[in-house]
Amino acid sequence: MRETDIRPAAATAAAGRARAAGDARPARELPRHWPLLLLGAAVVPGVLLVLVGRSLDAPAMQAWRTVCLAVTVQALPFLLLGTALSGAINAFVPARVFSRLLPKRAALAVPVAGMAGVVLPGCECASVPVANSLIGRGVTPAAAFAFLLSAPAVNPVVLTATAVAFPGSPEMVVARLLASLVTAAAMGWLWLWLGREEWLKPTVVRHTGHVPGQSRLTEFRRGFQHDFLHAGGFLVVGAMAAATFNVAVPRTLLDTFAGSPWLSVLFLAGLAIVLAVCSEADAFVAASLSGFSPVARLAFMVVGPMVDLKLIALQAGTFGRAFAVRFSAATAVVAVVCSAVIGGVLL
Amino acid sequence: MRRFAQVGLLVLGGLGLLHTSLFTDEYLRYVKEGMRPLLIASGVLLVVLGVAEAWAGRREENPGGHGGAGRAHEGHGREEPEGHEGHEGHEGHGGHAGHGHDHSRVPRVAWLLFLPVLSLLFYAPPALGSYTASREPAKAVAVQEDAFDPLPATSPLPITLTEFTQRVQQDRSKALGGREVVMTGFVTPAPAKLDGWYLTRIIVSCCAADASSVKVLVQGIAAPKADTWVNVTGTWRGSGTLGTSSAAVALDARAVLKVRKPPNAYMDALPLPS
Repeated sequence: MRETDIRPAAATAAAGRARAAGDARPARELPRHWPLLLLGAAVVPGVLLVLVGRSLDAPAMQAWRTVCLAVTVQALPFLLLGTALSGAINAFVPARVFSRLLPKRAALAVPVAGMAGVVLPGCECASVPVANSLIGRGVTPAAAFAFLLSAPAVNPVVLTATAVAFPGSPEMVVARLLASLVTAAAMGWLWLWLGREEWLKPTVVRHTGHVPGQSRLTEFRRGFQHDFLHAGGFLVVGAMAAATFNVAVPRTLLDTFAGSPWLSVLFLAGLAIVLAVCSEADAFVAASLSGFSPVARLAFMVVGPMVDLKLIALQAGTFGRAFAVRFSAATAVVAVVCSAVIGGVLL
Repeated sequence: MRRFAQVGLLVLGGLGLLHTSLFTDEYLRYVKEGMRPLLIASGVLLVVLGVAEAWAGRREENPGGHGGAGRAHEGHGREEPEGHEGHEGHEGHGGHAGHGHDHSRVPRVAWLLFLPVLSLLFYAPPALGSYTASREPAKAVAVQEDAFDPLPATSPLPITLTEFTQRVQQDRSKALGGREVVMTGFVTPAPAKLDGWYLTRIIVSCCAADASSVKVLVQGIAAPKADTWVNVTGTWRGSGTLGTSSAAVALDARAVLKVRKPPNAYMDALPLPS
């Protein structure tokens, strides 16, 4: 912190010089202001961080930055996996594969797609770009959304983590699997019933698949890169929001709600949304919330992989804000109801 | 976002991940040790993507090279403000969607990725410490189902904060009674009425966003500076009955010794033999 204290003054001067130099550059094929853009991008965040860090309570700011960076770093490998898969589906897999694999009737395709979520090992960041490219490949949106919701919750990695986090209670794993699948299928059917195409951002048309005459490898690389940069930006938005709640809301608040069975379910569902814990880890977090009833903890694990701040940001970026708001709200309600019913029966 | 910025972002992002996971162990401030191979692979992949993008850009610049997809869009000039939600209600944009593969333009929101990337490279925040621990109640330790194993005879006995808490509140054989133990953690100030300070460990199950803490109240020796890592030697002498949940998780300290911060701080480990 101390070494960087002198940075604002020096950096502003440097930026000023660079701006003068940048304006004098002749316009060429390369972006005109690229040195300026790079320098600005390199300097401005640092300056802002230093200024904000000094003006705010320093430990709180540091904790915020640590949590924000932790969410981003944790999610990046899975986001890369998801965007690479989505790029590969777009460039290499012909659309007829999906029409052959999935049942013709959309109402039947929904549960099948939900089950197919088992094959995508990873957390929720990976599933958004994959679902987007599935829609681009002609999969009916309802089925793609069922896949989007179920994939992060029912894959073997997450179920194993759940079994490890709740030793001696396999019914928790079963309840999680069932509640997640039922929620995913219910949301798919709900989309068939009430969903409208115009809520979806038109950019989903972007995934047009392989164009004859172009290198598939180049298409793959470009699609991968575009999706990663795009989703990555929204991941940062979500990570910032989650870090803000993480630092601003003290956990002591939890104990206030632990007593009432109904409030505790709603409260843990809300906590799952704002904490944005990765689905591979949320079982351990749920296990540590020992003051709460098993049903409330189940709600935490069912809602978390389907709705949270970073997912809402990612969906808003991929499918558009009109979609993300409606879809997330409906999913949260359906997930809470499903986990309350299934948890009430099984746990 | 222009091609040059994309190349810069991809390469810097890759270098940032490699810096944090391969060249240093700073990644342990944010995630678990097991993420290391994934982070290194991601870093390499990002650098490769950036280099490939720069390479493709150079080939397209040479006349006679590939008149590839990106070329056609260079003339578009600045990125349009379509990145966020600009598409809604813009029916007129339909022509743009018809381009098909328009991957050379990335919405502005991608600029935000520079924040974590540069932060990783140049301004890495420290591991969570006493600020976070002081704002959270101590984590509830697991209930030991089986009987506790007998304690080894070494004295002082090295023990983790979690096991100390379990033994104090659950071990009906009261094996800890009168035993001198040594534990490692960092210092968190406690409310004044408790007349002591907390020896603390932050435990993380996936990333720093799900941090929880275990704390043992240390009495008898004045608190060192917050966030200092120390070895504390002492005996249990709290209120309540040892071996039941009424027992306070507290230590009567005989010696406090400063130690170096362990590289992998987000776990509850035994003290290193000094």
